[in-house]
Amino acid sequence: MSTTTSTENTGLLNVLLPPFEKECGCKVDVIAVGTGKALKLGEAGDVDVVLVHARSLEDKFMANGFGVNRRDVMYNDFVIIGPANDPAHMKGAKTAVDALRRIAAAQAVFISRGDESGTHVKEKEIWSAAGINPAGRWYRSIGQGMGEAIMMATEERAYTLSDRGTYNAFAGPKTDLVILFEGEKGLFNPYGVIAVNPKKFPHVRYDLAMKFVDFITGPTGQAIIGQYQVAGKPVFFLYKAR
Amino acid sequence: MGFIAESFRTALSLIFSADQDVFAAVRTSVGVAAWSVLLAAVFGIPVGLGVGVNQFPLKRVVIVVLNSLMAMPTVVLGLLVYGLVSRQGPLGGRGLLFTPNAMVIGQTLLAVPIVANYTLSAIKGADSRIVPTALTLGAGSLRSMMQLTREVRFGIMAAVIAGFGRVISEVGVAMMLGGNIRWYTRTMTTAIALETSKGEFAFGLALGIILMVVSFSINILLTFMQESHQP
Amino acid sequence: MKPPQYRLTEIRVFYRANLALEVDELTIASGHLHILAGPNGSGKSTLLGILAFLMKPGHGQVAFAGTQVDWQRKQLASLRKQVTLLHQHSFLFSGTVFANVAFGPRARGMAKEDVQRTVGEALAMVGLDGFESRNARHLSGGEARRVALARALACQPEVLLLDEPLAHVDKESAQIIETLVISLSSRGTTVVMSSHNEQLGQRTESRVIRLLDGKVERIVEDNGQAPGRAVDGYRYAKL
Repeated sequence: MSTTTSTENTGLLNVLLPPFEKECGCKVDVIAVGTGKALKLGEAGDVDVVLVHARSLEDKFMANGFGVNRRDVMYNDFVIIGPANDPAHMKGAKTAVDALRRIAAAQAVFISRGDESGTHVKEKEIWSAAGINPAGRWYRSIGQGMGEAIMMATEERAYTLSDRGTYNAFAGPKTDLVILFEGEKGLFNPYGVIAVNPKKFPHVRYDLAMKFVDFITGPTGQAIIGQYQVAGKPVFFLYKAR
Repeated sequence: MGFIAESFRTALSLIFSADQDVFAAVRTSVGVAAWSVLLAAVFGIPVGLGVGVNQFPLKRVVIVVLNSLMAMPTVVLGLLVYGLVSRQGPLGGRGLLFTPNAMVIGQTLLAVPIVANYTLSAIKGADSRIVPTALTLGAGSLRSMMQLTREVRFGIMAAVIAGFGRVISEVGVAMMLGGNIRWYTRTMTTAIALETSKGEFAFGLALGIILMVVSFSINILLTFMQESHQP
Repeated sequence: MKPPQYRLTEIRVFYRANLALEVDELTIASGHLHILAGPNGSGKSTLLGILAFLMKPGHGQVAFAGTQVDWQRKQLASLRKQVTLLHQHSFLFSGTVFANVAFGPRARGMAKEDVQRTVGEALAMVGLDGFESRNARHLSGGEARRVALARALACQPEVLLLDEPLAHVDKESAQIIETLVISLSSRGTTVVMSSHNEQLGQRTESRVIRLLDGKVERIVEDNGQAPGRAVDGYRYAKL
């Protein structure tokens, strides 16, 4: 299975996979990389199932026939974090767009993942909605994962957009940055699971892939996901039962 | 296999379209490497000379240590320097982390053992009559050392070339201390790491081809300089 | 009266637990030609090394022109500017003949024009006029030996030491070197030269110090040419 580094960083897979492996009598090898690479692995037939959170890229993946049976699994959300003293005064912002506008106006240092990950794609969407093309010494595109971005933001007393799960894992011991904006619908981050198309790649374990898809969208898997916490806080939200 | 051919095409188009990102990364790579090698030579050559020429207790131990330092894993060195220059570290106040200067510090430390060891080798292989001859002609220690350096300059140039090769190709220290910040601390190697993580293998290889062309050209230039001064 | 150039006392030099040189007392008078004779391994090169201040004896005193040598860096630097040793297999620096011969004068801070002149004179003395721009690595054996000698002469030392300067050298070069050495000593330079050649001492009517197994076996005086020397006489080998 290919998935993203942020997903792995939440630690969810460590509690989700063992029960599944027991149930199906199989073993899941997880390859955690950037969203782009995770999907590329699926396009090459190097994995059997893909678990990512980049809807537009997932749709393209499906449209090109690389995957079948896409299902919604869960969603988490993004938060904007920064130093407690909030030099850009973005704390009172009503929308994410407004928050980023204030940061740009103050030319406060902002760390962007810059790696075409789900987080980065979301960040670009907000800048675009704000009508801003971020550029200048204050906007640092680092081409690395969420963990590295948070560490750099901590070091440089900067702002960044993070998924809640990774932030929770780092908050406390590793970073003293705080959540300065959260809760807006536009910051929701939906996860999708997709089986790699057996018609394109006959060698993939389609049967096992579908077992996994059914597991994590079924009652057992969903219960595990819903109860999962990082540092005493829930990380993922479930879709209401249809 | 097809992506290798695609990579060559991409590499050429990047060069001819004067892609700004690529040129910036090349500039950073070469600039950081050049400063690192320069500083490594300033520190490493005297160390190699000093250890090679003098007799002192524990000389063998020092040589073994110098040799072992060449095998220092880059990530370990990167972590050590990170610990020093990050805000919580002893040198944290200067805001060095995630700047080209931090990268230069790290890569200089990487290159010094290499330059020192190659210089030491050159000294060991040098004629033992050089220094006594200079001394008996009335030269002081400094002048004798300089003459010795002149006599082994071929080997010392090899030391510099080896050091350069080490730093321009390295990615661990550059990533950890530089942060791969676009336009600022992104080098060719960290850019390749980024493209690979995005699954852009062909593009990554194209950057790799450009890096190798740049690196080979510089090496050819340095070797040419070395040979034109051959005695 | 001028003090002797060298006075050596109780000298012992060890080489890997063996006694390479053992000299109870030896005086070298200034302004004369002294020849060190003896077979290979008899200690000639070792003795020359001490006289050149390149080698410190494990035991014993050396006095130069009346002053004790303390073997400290500062004094040695100054002493080495007055004494030059021509090694048996001398090493020419890479570069031109000029760069080699000019080394000594430059090390003494001589002005550029004077360096030019001194080099020219030194090369003329060894019969290599016009050799300045030749590559030092492209010389014949005899030419290289003469360049090394010119390099030593350019230092204008008070004491010139030569280790087997006539060995394995073509006849013409040997002749030039021998003549030069004699004329130097007659002009006041102290010259100490080691040689295999038994007849050399008689031919040049100089003092011969014969070494054997690291000890002074015999000294043959130069037929009373040096004024007022007292101490040296015959020493017999300890068998």
